[in-house]
Amino acid sequence: MSLQMLINAILLGGLYALMGIGFSLQWGISGIINLSYGAMVILGSYISLEFFNLFHLDPFISMIMSGAILFVIGAAIYRTLLQPLIKGGIVFTLILTFALRLVIENIILKVWSADYRTIRVTYAGSNFQFGDAYIPLIKFLAFIVAGILIYLTYLFMMKTKTGKGIQAVALDKEGAQAVGIDVEKMYLINFALGTALAGLTGSLWASIYSFSPHLLGSIVGKVFIIAILGGLGNIWGAAAGGLLLGIAETTGAVFFGSEWQEALGMVIMVSVLVWRPYGLMGKKFFG
Amino acid sequence: MEENNIILTIKSLSKYFGALKAVDEVSFEVKRGEILGLIGPNGAGKTTITNVVTGTYPKTSGSVIFEDTDISNLKPYQIARKGLTRTFQVVKPLIGMTVEENVLVGSLYGRDKRNTDMKNASKRAREIIKLVGLESKKDSLVSDITLPDLKKMEFARVLAMEPEVLFLDEVMAGLNPAEVEEASILVKRVRREKELTIVYIEHIMKAVMGISDRIVVLHHGRKIVEGTPQEVVNNSAVIEAYLGKRYAKEVNNEG
Amino acid sequence: MFNNKKVNIFLIIVGIIIFIFLPRFVSGYWVRVITTIFMYAVISQGINLMSGYMGYLPFGNAMFFGVGAYITAIGMGKGLSFLAVLPLAALTAILVSILFGLPVLRLRGHYFAIATIGMSGALLSVVQNATEITGGAMGTTLPIIDKSPEVTYNYFYLAMLALMVITTLTIYLIIKSKFGFGIRSIKANEEAANSMGINTTYHKVIAWAISALFTSIAGALYAYWMSFIGPEEVFDVMIAVNTIVIMLIGGAGSILGPIIGAFVISLLSEVVWSTFLEYHLAVLGITIIIIVFFVPKGITGAIADFVKKRELRLRKKVSV
Ligand SMILES: Nc1ncnc2c1ncn2[C@@H]1O[C@H](COP(=O)(O)OP(=O)(O)OP(=O)(O)O)[C@@H](O)[C@H]1O
Ligand SMILES: [Mg+2]
Repeated sequence: MSLQMLINAILLGGLYALMGIGFSLQWGISGIINLSYGAMVILGSYISLEFFNLFHLDPFISMIMSGAILFVIGAAIYRTLLQPLIKGGIVFTLILTFALRLVIENIILKVWSADYRTIRVTYAGSNFQFGDAYIPLIKFLAFIVAGILIYLTYLFMMKTKTGKGIQAVALDKEGAQAVGIDVEKMYLINFALGTALAGLTGSLWASIYSFSPHLLGSIVGKVFIIAILGGLGNIWGAAAGGLLLGIAETTGAVFFGSEWQEALGMVIMVSVLVWRPYGLMGKKFFG
Repeated sequence: MEENNIILTIKSLSKYFGALKAVDEVSFEVKRGEILGLIGPNGAGKTTITNVVTGTYPKTSGSVIFEDTDISNLKPYQIARKGLTRTFQVVKPLIGMTVEENVLVGSLYGRDKRNTDMKNASKRAREIIKLVGLESKKDSLVSDITLPDLKKMEFARVLAMEPEVLFLDEVMAGLNPAEVEEASILVKRVRREKELTIVYIEHIMKAVMGISDRIVVLHHGRKIVEGTPQEVVNNSAVIEAYLGKRYAKEVNNEG
Repeated sequence: MFNNKKVNIFLIIVGIIIFIFLPRFVSGYWVRVITTIFMYAVISQGINLMSGYMGYLPFGNAMFFGVGAYITAIGMGKGLSFLAVLPLAALTAILVSILFGLPVLRLRGHYFAIATIGMSGALLSVVQNATEITGGAMGTTLPIIDKSPEVTYNYFYLAMLALMVITTLTIYLIIKSKFGFGIRSIKANEEAANSMGINTTYHKVIAWAISALFTSIAGALYAYWMSFIGPEEVFDVMIAVNTIVIMLIGGAGSILGPIIGAFVISLLSEVVWSTFLEYHLAVLGITIIIIVFFVPKGITGAIADFVKKRELRLRKKVSV
């Protein structure tokens, strides 16, 4: 593998890492497989697009808005739709989040159409050299920002009272309830945090690549793989899973041809599921 | 002659959870037709022994010989089919089914080499429901009945499996004194009628005394005493295990 | 659904007879719509057996539909007749279900559901890339039946109806049998089931094989009917999603649930398609949300609750 390829893989993997964490937290801690996650990522992209078209706002700035708006949307969805049905089990939450996906997809199609869109910032073409490899400036920035966001999420979980509460709930729901933690509130914040991360990823994505509602399905496929590779609800696990998927896709494309990319990801996921059900990081995070 | 009388042999059985030795080199035998009390304070390892013997957990080491075959590497369903069955300390009803359907499943599956076609199994299930006194509840969903009835249902369900050896894990827990009385009578009667061998698990000593032929006492995963109820009740190690060292000394000084 | 067994059997036979003669009274368009409904009912029964009765949600069940469709396309492309290729298609699907099922059916809940999606995705890629055999991503054609379209459509209508009746009857008999109690026990409490002497692995694998069998036959018929199939279309996760919704709306774990659900959802989306062309996704999504919220036990569940309540009221009146 050439240096250029490795760098490409890692830059892509960084975005995947950020994207996977939100999904992994929602699944691992709130117990919801969010099939509308892809729609939420893309929604983040379109929010940045609007801010760019209206105010010429750089996606690296408008991502804050994406995150905030999706946090609110996530909280509202959780409170009104998911929370009442969570006891119904996996079938209900899967179907419900799928229905949500249809609604969001329809809204996106209606407002922005199915065409691919791009945000072209002025420094889009800039590169710098590293060894004999070229690194596109914007991808590098996005990678750094993704890293910072992942670290902030980690800090939030480790250092803040709410974050610790969420962890307590994830480890032992009854125990957490017994010591007076508002379990439902923790689930809600965790879920909303997950959608916020989806929105943030969407903005970063929009600064580099073009996007359309067509991407929705493949995003969900990818976050599944990332979350399972890393172990559900595990932040560093998902980060590692994201990097790994980036590398697997990039190298897989070279060795097997890019048409096998998705199959490769799926095969890796199923293998991990069967042999290491708690992910490659190996720690059982929730029951 | 003597040999033939032993139905179940547990030989240096161990089960570790990481560093915790939940069951540690425990050996004892169960005679055909007896009620063997298995007692010990909370966390002594009683349920863990049951889980290992019935195949729910893999053993760490040792062996379990049931009627001349080592069953310690078999799966739970294989062991159940050989005729060794258990109830659960925390009842595990088949949610979504009625009382009768629960018992029917036990009757349809359970020990093999018997007639388990639908007609026969239904007949057996109805008889056993009658035997434990659940007839009036037979069409209720298990989610709609009380805890004592659930325990009866679970008892009926294992009886319908027609086992030879039955591990009853704290079947009296959560019952009031009157219900305990009723349940003990039922267990004794059923044992006689069905010629069952029972390993009777309790952590309340008093409840076991009246019902057991012999008793094995566990403490911290080890067997500390084995004997008749009388022998066990007067054993200082047992008293110590249950009540702590100081009390044991006082009892000994008085005696 | 109702308490009297004889009345039920009578109603069902009348229903079947009505459906047999229905094509004479409705337009070709509706014949095709109802054929699709039958097809969805069959796939949904496969999901119902696994999820409604056994508690394992096979999110990737579309793969058996795809396998059935593609084996049929390939076999007929090699000159075999449909009836010769049908057992091959079913056998392949069963083989796939056993091969995949053995490792994956050890997983519970979410994990199982997701693993099946992964397998379905992987199979889709294989079909897309094995261009020489499958025709690749562009899809492949099947021989067209040498009859008028109307005759052909009636033929598929009846075949799909027969498949639905056979599937439903088979699953009904399975559920009432010893094996059926075995799989229902797995849903209720897998650990207890195992300790009661039920070989859970065996039950799960066989149940999935049965599910695969019927789903693959539906796929085979579909391929022959359409005479053109593409991989994205027959391995579409949406097939599973739709049929899960159908099961939920009809009533999970109820034998007529998938059929009722298939009619309700399909007729509903017919209306939605024609009236809210641009918003059909959203309207469908919202409809699903509303149904999941207000009829969580599905239509058959709601009817059963209603009957139960009425009986209780009647009993009370009698005792007063
Ligand atoms: N699955 C498990 N994983 C880890 N530790 C376990 C597990 N099951 C039991 N233990 C531990 O093993 C020890 C023995 O537990 P066990 O349930 O066998 O006790 P017991 O004698 O049945 O107690 P009780 O009277 O409370 O039912 C305890 O310290 C318990 O915490
Ligand atoms: Mg116990």
